[in-house]
Amino acid sequence: MNYTVRDSTPGDCKDIMRLIVDLAEYEKMPNEVKLSHKELEADGFSSNPFFKCLVAEVPEEFKSKEGHTIVGYGFYFFTYCTWKGRVVYLEDLYVMPEFRGKGIGKALMSRIAQIGRAQGCVRMQFTVLDWNKPSLDFYSSQGALNLTAAEGWQLLRFEGEALEKLAQSAN
Amino acid sequence: MANFILRKAEPKDVSDILRLIKELAKFEEMEDQVLLTEKDLLDDGFGEHPFYHCVVAEVPNEQQSSEGHTVVGFAMYYFTYDPWIGKLLYLEDFYVMKEYRGYGMGSKILKHLSHTAVKTRCSSMHFIVAEWNKPSIEFYKRRGASDLSSEEGWRLFEIDKQYLVKMSSKE
Repeated sequence: MNYTVRDSTPGDCKDIMRLIVDLAEYEKMPNEVKLSHKELEADGFSSNPFFKCLVAEVPEEFKSKEGHTIVGYGFYFFTYCTWKGRVVYLEDLYVMPEFRGKGIGKALMSRIAQIGRAQGCVRMQFTVLDWNKPSLDFYSSQGALNLTAAEGWQLLRFEGEALEKLAQSAN
Repeated sequence: MANFILRKAEPKDVSDILRLIKELAKFEEMEDQVLLTEKDLLDDGFGEHPFYHCVVAEVPNEQQSSEGHTVVGFAMYYFTYDPWIGKLLYLEDFYVMKEYRGYGMGSKILKHLSHTAVKTRCSSMHFIVAEWNKPSIEFYKRRGASDLSSEEGWRLFEIDKQYLVKMSSKE
């Protein structure tokens, strides 16, 4: 089956949003998605984008059961490591179930790795849920190292009320 | 002694920033991992599209450190993106020199950052902490941070340069 991996355009945001919700459902947290495709468009396609996104597209004759031709996406941005420099952060990677097993996930990830290297990035970083065995296995096979297991890093966050409270106590 | 100011880092601060990065790495028992140079910090933080933002804590000359430094703390951050909720502020490094602790500098820096996060309409501030670093975990939890690794099972992964190169060369 043919597919292409390309840079997304503002017009792809509805499809990207659809896939974001699909992935959130797989991660058992669909109610956590608060963003709309309009915000995605504003945040991703202005002169100072907060993220970049690649999409995987199939020709019309291979469209999904529901008629979609955008069947996967790779969502990333650049971050910084004070020890080694530029990092490419893979925020989301997802391929619709009916299009798996054809190398689309790998193709999305490889292209992002290539883009990262072109920007001088020293590593690609991402998080995976500890129960997500298929993904854990896939990433290990690509040479990924589990830093939480190997070095004990824990991911923390301040959000909502906690963030507001902390901010209000600033002068 | 409690006089200090918090200000945005300037190009002239890169040597102090690198010094503090190395001190923090030493505390994290990974000092030899710091490969970044002053030139990298300058190019990556003060160019047209900075990869990071930095605030520094500075004391007056009369309160300089035993080695003659007046820049005694720093926090490095950048903006990331969560496809479920939008913009986030990611706190990459946060450190105050040992002899200047206990005066509220760390607290002030964190409040300043959370204020920045709220002002720039970020939904959350994220960061990672080593699981053995109990004092830091307690410091953050006291201020309302949640530990996503234990609460939601997120595990941090990385794919290092050699594998990135390997991945990006096969398409």
